[in-house]
Parts: sequence; C-alpha cells; structure tokens
Amino acid sequence: MATPLEGRTVLITGSGRGIGREVALLAGRLGANVIVNDPGVNVDGTGGDQGPAADVAREIVGAGGIASANFDSVASAEGGENMIKQAIDAYGRIDGVVHVAGILRDRMIFNMSEQEWDDVVAVHLTGFFNVVKPASVLMRQQRFGRIVGFSSASGLVGNTGQANYGAAKAGIAGMARCVARDLGRYGVTANAIGPGAATRMTQTVPDAARQMRSRAGVQGAGGPATPESIVNRLREPRYVAPMVCYLLSDQAWDVNGKVFNVAGGVVSVSWDETPDRTIAKAGMWELDELQALVPQMMAGLRNPAPPPPDLDLPGRPVTQEATA
Amino acid sequence: MGALEGKVALITGSGRGIGRGMALLFAKEGARVVVNDPGVNVDGSGGDAGPAQQVVDEIKKAGGEATANTESVATAAGGEAMVKQAVDTYGRIDIVVNTAGILRDRMIFNMSQQEWDDVIAVHLKGHYNTIKPASVLMRQQRYGRIINFSSTSGTLGNTGQANYGAAKAGIAGLTRVIARDLGRYGVTCNGILPGASTRMTQTVPDSARQLRQAAGVQGAASAAPVQQSAYAGLREPEYVAPMVAYLASDEAWDLNGWLFNVSGGAISVAHHPTPMRTVFKPGLWELDELDDAVHNVLLRGLDNPAPPRDDVEVAGRDVPAKPLA
Repeated sequence: MATPLEGRTVLITGSGRGIGREVALLAGRLGANVIVNDPGVNVDGTGGDQGPAADVAREIVGAGGIASANFDSVASAEGGENMIKQAIDAYGRIDGVVHVAGILRDRMIFNMSEQEWDDVVAVHLTGFFNVVKPASVLMRQQRFGRIVGFSSASGLVGNTGQANYGAAKAGIAGMARCVARDLGRYGVTANAIGPGAATRMTQTVPDAARQMRSRAGVQGAGGPATPESIVNRLREPRYVAPMVCYLLSDQAWDVNGKVFNVAGGVVSVSWDETPDRTIAKAGMWELDELQALVPQMMAGLRNPAPPPPDLDLPGRPVTQEATA
Repeated sequence: MGALEGKVALITGSGRGIGRGMALLFAKEGARVVVNDPGVNVDGSGGDAGPAQQVVDEIKKAGGEATANTESVATAAGGEAMVKQAVDTYGRIDIVVNTAGILRDRMIFNMSQQEWDDVIAVHLKGHYNTIKPASVLMRQQRYGRIINFSSTSGTLGNTGQANYGAAKAGIAGLTRVIARDLGRYGVTCNGILPGASTRMTQTVPDSARQLRQAAGVQGAASAAPVQQSAYAGLREPEYVAPMVAYLASDEAWDLNGWLFNVSGGAISVAHHPTPMRTVFKPGLWELDELDDAVHNVLLRGLDNPAPPRDDVEVAGRDVPAKPLA
C-alpha cells in the first residue's frame, strides 16, 4: 500500500470509536504517526474510559503503523495543548489536526438547559479552537499543516432538537473558513466535513423522533435511510475516512476553506452561503414594497417547519380548508 | 396602523448602529420596544447607560413606546432579565432581535482563550440566552418572531476573525434549528447577514483590507460591494431595518429558517450550504481517485480563498517555489 502520509504526524480527536477511529486506522495504514485521542466518554459526555483510544492505538501498531493514545478532553485549553504537546514529544512535529470528538445533549430549545448548551458548545466548537490554536502556531512556523473540522447537516441544513449541536457544528464550518484565510498563505489548509454514517452517536436519535418529525412535516437532517438503499449499505463510518485522509495529504495542498459532505461513497462540496436570489432598490424600502416583493423572491422555497393548518395565525390568509 | 401595532419587541444591542435603526423603525410601526444595550466599547469593555436611554428618549419624543435595558446578553441571567422586562412592562414578548455583538479580531495563531471565549459568549451564547426564555413564552402563545444576526465573516469566512466567524456561522446554524423547533407553534426564526458602516466596521483598518488584497486573501469585509453596486453602496445602518421589520410582521408568517443578506437597498436570500456538486462511487474511495474527483469535478473553477505565498515551498505543488523578489 502506498503511504502518502509517511512522516506526517496527525492528531485525531474522538478517534476511539466511530468515524474518528476509522480515520485514525486509515491514517495509520497510510503511514502517518497518529495521536489517537479519546477520553472514552458516553455520547452525553459523562463517564470516561481509556480503553477505546488504547485499543485503536494498539490496532494501528499491530498492523505495523505508528500511534500513541491520548485521553485528554478537548473541552479545555489544557487538554488541547496536551494533545499537541504529545505529538511533538512523541514524533517531533504536528502536521494534521482532525477534530471529530463530540457529544450530544438533544433537547427542544424551549426545554434546553444552560448546561446542555454549554457542554455541547464546549466540546465541539471551543474544542476545535482548543486544538487548532496551539497547532496553528507550529504549522505557521513550519509552513505546512492540515486542519479538518467536523461539521454537520444539523447545523448546515438544520435539525430539530439540536440548537446546541447545530450551532456548534455550523460554527465549526465558519471557523474552518476563517482559519483557512488566516493560514492559507503559510501552506496550511483548513476544511470541514459534514459526515453521514451510522455510529453510536446516531443511534441516540430515536426512531420515534424521526417519525414525529416526518409526521409534522418538519424537514430534518438525519432522516430515515431505508435498509434496502445502497446508500444505507454504505453507512459504515469507514467510508468517511478516505476523504479526510486525502485532505491530510500533500496532494490536497490547494483544497482550502471548503465544506464537504461525505457519506458512504458520496462526496459533495457545499454551496458557499452566497446570495441566491436578490431584490434591490436604490433607496429605503417601504414595508408594503417588501410585502409584495419578498414572497416573489422566495417563490418555491419551502418553510422547513410550517405551522399546522388549524393554528389561528395572524397574517395567514384564511383558506377554505381552515374554515370548513 | 403600523405593521407592528400591539407587538412587543426586544432588540439587543440597539443603543447604536443597526440595532438602533431597527428600534426606531419598530417603534414607528407601532411596536413597544425594549431597547437593550449595556453601552460597551466594540471590544466589550466599559459600559454606559446613555446609548440605550437616548434611543428610548428618541422613540418617546416621536410618540412611541420604549423602555431601556442595560443588561449584558452574555449571561443567562441577563437574557432572562430582558425578556422579563418586556413581560413586566408590556405584558408579553412577540419579537426578539439579536443584534448585540463585540469584536476581538486576531489571527488564529495569536488569539487568546479570553478573546475566543468573550466573543463566543456575547454572540453565540448571547443568542441562546434571549431565545431560550422567549421561546418558552412564544410556544405557549403560539406566536413569535426571532431574528438573529449572522455575518458573512462566518458564512463565507474572513481573516483574523476565527472567534467572530465561528460565532456568526454558529448563529446561522442555530437559526436553522430554532426554525425547525418552533415553526409548528406559529413562531418563525430567520437570520440577517448585514452590510453597513457602523462603529463596529470602522475597527477594521483600511491597512488590513489592503494587506488581505495584496496577499490574494478573499475577505468578507471587502469594500468591493460599494464599487460594484449602487444598491449595496447605501451603507447607513438604517437600511437594514425595513427587512427586519418585515420579518417581524404578521405578513411574514411563512418565512422561516432563512438567511437574508441585507445591505443598503439590496436584499438577497442566501444559499444554504447544501451539496453543490457531488461525486459518487459504490465503494471505498482511493486517495488518487479523490485527488482527481476533487480537482476536476468538485472544485473545478472554485478558488482557494488564501493560496500559499509564492515563496512558501509547498509539498504537492507542482511548480517550484519562487524566491522573494
């Protein structure tokens, strides 16, 4: 097997299980020195277990690769710094940072506690800062680096019950776009992945929730994939790994500031959130002008969670069905 | 009768700039307004009850109704106090507009933990802090309008703003989720990507813009729109207000989960970051196959927003590195 990551040292957060594990295993096979980070917590962030990270590191080494395990939490600045320090101490450099670590605390916004918000934002979004900041100092100096953040359709498209997770995940894409511009000139790239795979994390979304969303006409990410579909057969997390390892490789030197969706054998590049349709006036808009023109601009674009027909709603034209 | 007659609105950060323009227009359209602003400096330091009170005075002088609030949106207690003031003073809360924000620009390799935390706290958590308590009441009354302020710094990217860009892109994601959580209860949630000349944009020095341009770095806060479009060239912050007032009105009951660019007289609905171009293989990709697919299909014609400098020796780049002149 070719070893395009030979001599490179990469840190993969949350690589004790799921997608992170597959990225770590493939990076190890491709020749990289891998820091396998995972505190081994439950999906909600509780608990802790050194087993998963140690097992993955052992598996890489057993296959003839180079790896060492790290059990720090990405939610603290010290944790992030420790991971980078371990890379330097063990292998003399840090070339790639892939932030896969994440937890879930799903709750509808009107029931979401401050703790649920804080914990999720701390692990995902501030966690990305905690590893990228110390790595960026070294990557800038060595004029080489690869940064890959894990975003999600929950934030890029939107999903019910995930205000904390969706905000953090969309934030990761935003941070990748900014860091790409901060570091691109120094030979460093930063990109984000919106992954799709069946893992321990997606198992926490109950089928009942999916069915409820579907009945209420609420468009959600992470909808049901029928067992028969080819895409579903390709739901194993290992299918996400090749694109991540490609982004870590020298070949991807000019791939920067982009958001990719990767699920099964599908790889997409996302639209930048640029203007799609525009109305313009050389002056101040009046509200009645906007009332006339905005609906035209929005024609064909669906409300992702429309109010039920029996809800008495000011502004909505009274239809025959509603009055019947 | 005004478009917002009988409505009660909380507008954070409305002592100055875009927030102030909205507070004045909302009141003119008949809304009773909680004008929130702790009157801090752009970097979040200091504090001054003056700006919020001045806007309230201006609204009252014009015959409108308003009350000042100087809490910080960065704490849950602050957000709750704002919603409580709306309910205590006017009996309800119909509209929340989240405009408050600070800046601590720094290149990522120099950004301190404090600079990260403070910006995330005001922008991203600040949105949660007002939306959470308001959403409880809006759900109960089966009516509500939430309008958030995102930024192209996050949705497109900008140098020196990893904290701000992350927070603002996070707000875009939050907006899309809230729309789905609350839509069925007659509540809408949308986001604004504003363009205007305010105290905040004045902190971006011209030298930084020139530096970016010289380095070939695509920035969000470029001066380009001013030259390109007479419509977007109207940079006064008051121009952002009408679209927000429209989104806050009854007529916009079915607009939900969108991001709108609003700058001068130009209003756009932004693309969601959904897949634009796709490649598929019914199996595991090899890295060489991905190299081909990425360069020749997915990214064909798309720029690297910040290509490596010519004098940087780039592993993988075919052309030899050129020495500095």
